Amino acid sequence: MRIALLLALAALFVAFPLAFPWLAFVFTLVISKGFAALGVAVLLRAGLISIGHALFYSLGAYTVAYLSRGAGVTDLILQLAGAVAVSSLVGLIIGLFMVRYRGIFFAMLNLAVSMVFFTLLSKLYALTGGTDGVRIGTPTLFGTTIERDTLESILLYGGLVLAFGVGYLVHRYLKSPMGEALPAVETNEIRLEYLGIAVPRVLLAAYVASAGLAGLGGAMYGLLVGHVSPELAYWTISGQLVLVAVLGGIGGVVGPFVGAFFLEIIRSFAVIYFDNIWNLIIGAGLLIVIFFLPRGLYGLIERATQRGPRR
Amino acid sequence: MWKLAATLAVGLGVIAGPAAAQDRPERIGMGIFTFTSGPAAAYGMPGRNAAELIIEQINEAGGIGGVPIAPTYVDEAQGGEGVVSEFRRLAGDQSIGVMVAALSSGNCMALAPIADQLEVPMVTWNCDTHQLFLGEEHPYVFRPNSSTVPEFISYAAYLAQKSPDATRIAIINPDYAFGHDAAQIFTGAMKAFNPDVEVVAELFPKLGTASFNTEISRIAAARPDVIFSNLWGADLENFVRQAQARGLFRSSQVVLALGESVLQRVELPEGVIVGVLGDGWWMSPDAQANERTKEFVSAYRERFGEYPVFPAMKMANTILAVQAAYEKAIEASDGWPGRADLREAFAGLELETLTGTVTVREDHDGLVDQLVGVTVASDEHDFPVIGEMVRYPADQVTPPVGEDPMAWIGTLTPDFAASLPKPGSYE
Amino acid sequence: MDIIIPLLVDGLAAASLIFFIAVGLTLVFSVLRVLNVAHGSFYSIGAYVAVSIGGWAASAGLSPWLSFPILLISAALVAALLGPFIEATFIRYTYGKPEALQILVTFALFLIFEDLQKLVFGVQAHYQDAAMQVLGVSEIGGIIYLNYQLLLIALAVVVVVSLRLLMRHTRLGKLILAVVADPEVSVTLGINARQVYSIAFTIGVFLAALGGALATPTSGVAPGLGAEAIVLGFAVAAIGGLGQIEGAALAAVIVGLSRVIAIYYAPAFEPVMPYLVMLVVLLVRPYGLFGTAQARRI
Repeated sequence: MRIALLLALAALFVAFPLAFPWLAFVFTLVISKGFAALGVAVLLRAGLISIGHALFYSLGAYTVAYLSRGAGVTDLILQLAGAVAVSSLVGLIIGLFMVRYRGIFFAMLNLAVSMVFFTLLSKLYALTGGTDGVRIGTPTLFGTTIERDTLESILLYGGLVLAFGVGYLVHRYLKSPMGEALPAVETNEIRLEYLGIAVPRVLLAAYVASAGLAGLGGAMYGLLVGHVSPELAYWTISGQLVLVAVLGGIGGVVGPFVGAFFLEIIRSFAVIYFDNIWNLIIGAGLLIVIFFLPRGLYGLIERATQRGPRR
Repeated sequence: MWKLAATLAVGLGVIAGPAAAQDRPERIGMGIFTFTSGPAAAYGMPGRNAAELIIEQINEAGGIGGVPIAPTYVDEAQGGEGVVSEFRRLAGDQSIGVMVAALSSGNCMALAPIADQLEVPMVTWNCDTHQLFLGEEHPYVFRPNSSTVPEFISYAAYLAQKSPDATRIAIINPDYAFGHDAAQIFTGAMKAFNPDVEVVAELFPKLGTASFNTEISRIAAARPDVIFSNLWGADLENFVRQAQARGLFRSSQVVLALGESVLQRVELPEGVIVGVLGDGWWMSPDAQANERTKEFVSAYRERFGEYPVFPAMKMANTILAVQAAYEKAIEASDGWPGRADLREAFAGLELETLTGTVTVREDHDGLVDQLVGVTVASDEHDFPVIGEMVRYPADQVTPPVGEDPMAWIGTLTPDFAASLPKPGSYE
Repeated sequence: MDIIIPLLVDGLAAASLIFFIAVGLTLVFSVLRVLNVAHGSFYSIGAYVAVSIGGWAASAGLSPWLSFPILLISAALVAALLGPFIEATFIRYTYGKPEALQILVTFALFLIFEDLQKLVFGVQAHYQDAAMQVLGVSEIGGIIYLNYQLLLIALAVVVVVSLRLLMRHTRLGKLILAVVADPEVSVTLGINARQVYSIAFTIGVFLAALGGALATPTSGVAPGLGAEAIVLGFAVAAIGGLGQIEGAALAAVIVGLSRVIAIYYAPAFEPVMPYLVMLVVLLVRPYGLFGTAQARRI
């Protein structure tokens, strides 16, 4: 049932951009945000809310920009891999400090670090192009140059395949002992320690994974938009990633992608038809989900397709 | 889910039947990008208002070649990706002929390559960064407005002519590219005109700062002869109120590059050097000599309750440039001009605007005169107006095609300032 | 050096503005354990209401000295209208829920309020500076200051002392402290915890609106003010050790001074100072300056 549902969602995902080309951009954005929100969701499972993951999201995009402009690495695959590597590494370093913190203070420390990073991005003009940002050129693939349109198709369809692959890996991780320990950190951390599980190690692994996911999403964002500016590291983007994760539901791997999908669709249509009150519409939508759909939107879709007796 | 599909289909119905390139369409779609929410709306909203009004006036007069304009407004406050996404959506809609985008320089830089990729003409109405055409060619992007270099050189020239002995300058600009670029250009030009000039304080408070009181203390402590600022919107109003109450306007000559935009909103003292980043002042002699401008101004005042500040004039002039390009393209092509035909028409375009003239150069950058003056009391209005005006000819203060603008500033000499028209010469 | 005096005056003036942003947030967190993003909305709504009433008073030709009671009345009005209502309709359902959820509910409210304010008040800045004008200026250390800035410093001290008196020496304060210490036991003792929460939230809204109102005579109000206020408020509240009024006051002084020093000596670093201070403080003291570790559940 669940596999069928996923395939149906994927088919929908492929069909719409074919009919409406501009949706290809929006849908690719959904995948990119979905990766980053999945990273945030991994931490949310442990009850840790990060209002700072825009750091890793923008780091992914800036890494791609730096690789293509500064280091001459033009291959798409290498750029994506580089972005994931850099953001994971930075995640490891920051994570070493973060794993000591819980609750609001975890949120705040992430906020602080990301805002310092945001300021650096605006100030280090020579390296980052300052507040106007920096262009990201079209990459090559396996040594051949590709057209902009080809790149966009690769990002959408390749991104979808990547989402399945990475989603499966994250799913396996969440079902592994390291992953299963995450919800236990939230409910009862001390008991975990008595069971001989090193909580800091569990959290560090989660933090690095979440940073890598956010970096991957950011790299896709950079390649797709072709431009990155410091506003991508601002705290409102971090807030949006948390919003997306909770909107979709943090119970499974699919939730954040569903959340990103709905946010982008609501935003696109609110901006077209209600350009004066799109903040209001997103706020109201968020309240509805929180109060009436405690398991997020994906929970709703799952429920609708699971008629009959529950397991 | 079907409901969503239905909504999508309805929303995109327009796209279903793209008009063939040669048929005369029922309307000319125009995407207009500006800030209508957030702090930048103080600057962006007059732009939107002016677009609404001028399009209405054009349509009443029969539209462009008999076809009315149908604008779609996009709020730039939704952030880079939202702006890019909307741009792409509109570009995919074949009924859209041209984009008027954008206010923010960052957004212009992000959109320019996309306009080239999707082959849709993009006409910038405000973003004035000199970086836009620097090092990168954008075949589909045009700026029928001036850039930061002529704009801020003009203030330095005016100052050099009006207060030649001023050497200690303090700068307080917003903390983003526009503020930093302006500081660099203004300082560079000031030093070129008078080698004794020194910067005694240089502050870059971030956008949206509510209290400038510490900055004001810091500037007061530096005892500058001149205080230069390109703050704008609510930031500028806050700075003016606080600085004026604390005596800064009495002890130094203040230069407010975007001062005209707040003349009607905050009581500026007399003698402050202000300008309009171009020639777009609704009360300038050229504007007052133009019946169409007077009509636009009074209609604007009636509908929006204030006179059109310079961002409004910039937007109106930009849309007139689009109209002129369309008319040129209609003349040049057999049927209705497509996007590529319109692009051709922009090259070398020349037109009369509401406040002067504009020429689109071969590098797609605009040539617009620069109007600078000082605030003086008005007999007619209950707010100060601009007096002792000068109108610097565009070709004299704009770096020539192909020259690095920053390097060009370095070549300026004291004689350059002396060779320009004098303050008070524009009457 | 003679720069020390302006530096101190500027630092305290900046600190008082920052304190007024953070104090209500801190109070609400200490009682309700809710990190309220909508606090930024109450701040800007307070400012809008104060400017509107002040503008009416000015056009009606009332004495400028009446501006001061008007600032207070505006804040009280916002608190009375919005405090109990928002608490009963939205906030109440988030008690005891995960922090992510609380933040998102209040963030959603913040988004809704942002557009509502735009619809009501438009996008241009609003001002009413009668209170600043009527007080005039003073010269301290060769630099002219607004007497209104000095008044705000004094008012911030008054608020710290009043809140302390309220909490320690009144019946309401004792009820609040009891509910904070142990909600369940308080209820069994016959305390109406719901009412206490509602009152505490309303006081928080009042302090937020007061902060916004007090900022208007010098700074006016424009779109984006709430967003600016909230993230600074978070930083200061966290530095102080969430829920500690005195901590918030000390944090405001540290952040205010650090920004002023940055403006004087290294202007490029000014925007990052609140976060840099937060980073350093939290690395050294993980629960903020005055915060203590909460008991861990077993």
